[in-house]
Amino acid sequence: MDSLTLIREFLDSRLEIAPETVLPESKLDDLNVDSLMLAEIMFEFEDRFNLTLHRNLKSPRTVGDLVALMDRLRSEQG
Amino acid sequence: MTGRRVAVTGMGLVSPFCGDLVDFFDRLLAGESAIRFLRTDDVPRPLAMPFVSCSGFSADAALGRALAGTMDRFAQLGVAAAFGAWADAGFSRADTAQDRESWGVAWGTALGGTLAYENGYRDFWQKGRERLSPLSLILGMNNAANAHISIQLGLGGVSMSHTVACASSAIAIGEAFRRVRSGEAPVMLTGGSDAPQAYAVARAWEALRVLADGDENTAPQSCRPFSVDRSGLVLGEGGAALVLEDWDHAVARGAGIHGEMLGYGTSCDHSHLVRPEAAGQVRALKAALADSRLAPGDIDYVNAHGTATAEGDPVEVAALRAVFGEGAARLPVSATKSMHGHQLGAAAAVEAIVTVLALREQALPPTAHLTNLDPTCAGVDHVLAARRSQTVRAALSNSFAFGGSNAVLVFRAVA
Repeated sequence: MDSLTLIREFLDSRLEIAPETVLPESKLDDLNVDSLMLAEIMFEFEDRFNLTLHRNLKSPRTVGDLVALMDRLRSEQG
Repeated sequence: MTGRRVAVTGMGLVSPFCGDLVDFFDRLLAGESAIRFLRTDDVPRPLAMPFVSCSGFSADAALGRALAGTMDRFAQLGVAAAFGAWADAGFSRADTAQDRESWGVAWGTALGGTLAYENGYRDFWQKGRERLSPLSLILGMNNAANAHISIQLGLGGVSMSHTVACASSAIAIGEAFRRVRSGEAPVMLTGGSDAPQAYAVARAWEALRVLADGDENTAPQSCRPFSVDRSGLVLGEGGAALVLEDWDHAVARGAGIHGEMLGYGTSCDHSHLVRPEAAGQVRALKAALADSRLAPGDIDYVNAHGTATAEGDPVEVAALRAVFGEGAARLPVSATKSMHGHQLGAAAAVEAIVTVLALREQALPPTAHLTNLDPTCAGVDHVLAARRSQTVRAALSNSFAFGGSNAVLVFRAVA
């Protein structure tokens, strides 16, 4: 599963946001993804791909930022 | 005590009968039981006990999935009940024109988010996981329900939770009442909620040997307060909420008023953790009457704590006899836990609503399944079947908790 699909599935199950409306340029604020929900997404990501995030990661602003962050960690640790 | 008059302008609950408040009260008047047999798939041993579930409750439908996903079941039940009470009071969640910065929340829960904590233990010790969801703490915290209610309703005054076992929401309602009466807050949202089906919690209650016997066939009749063959209490989940409002504030906005809250009395037995004492309950009853400036003869109904435990029921009746004297024999008393079970932190709020409805409808619900009165519970006028077209001027709702904490609420019918 790619990172964008994981994010879309998560937002669909938790916030009932239609996957096709979650685009790389979508701002996380506009999707009602607050810091708590971002922590949930990253937790899910860590679990799914058996990765560990650094605590001092810069908070992403858009879905594309989050995808880039996930992809980078997967390539580094995968 | 003097101060502002306090109106009950909103009531809401998550009904185990799956209907609204009118349906809930009608079913109680009919003596209908919401108790069913619960059997889980837990291993190595399932939970198997009479229980009251809000089986028709969908948190996603009531709250929306995004909000529901940030709550343990106890908070979901509580917030749903609060939303119901808020709408019943004629308030809009979206109305930001009102200044609600002094309006507050007082909430009762005996257990808090124990299901969330239990899920955490399962993750650690059954599934071998090494960490927990980042939501675990905010799901589990005891003040989750009142925090969510304050946020969702935009209430900027006090937001507090009360954990006093079976009297939790009685204490919450009483403390909310005092804030409205003193003029500190014109409106308080109050009530309680609990979800005691967490495996370890239910098994802990079982270990105390105070739960009623029952199986698939007998569960609905398993809770028999004051009966010689009673075998114990029946746990249940639930959420119930009331809006207490400054009387003049309510009248000025044209609110419907269900009843008036007159007083609140508390005490502690200060003697034993689980063995109740009549002397302590008498102090709470007398304090409530004094706080209300009522005499025993002014009371036309008591919604008893009446859990159907061997020790508790006779002590409660003894306390009523001591306070009401010769009038006790004419004092209508019923224990509606026989039908809606014991929802712990929600119980007193549910029973406060039942009491207000009895005053509003001038009708008394019965103690169900009371066909063989225990002689040690005699001396009051047990309501064995619904009584309609009654004169019910004022009424008490009793809550007597483990730990010896007692709380009595007093309500009066709107003239």
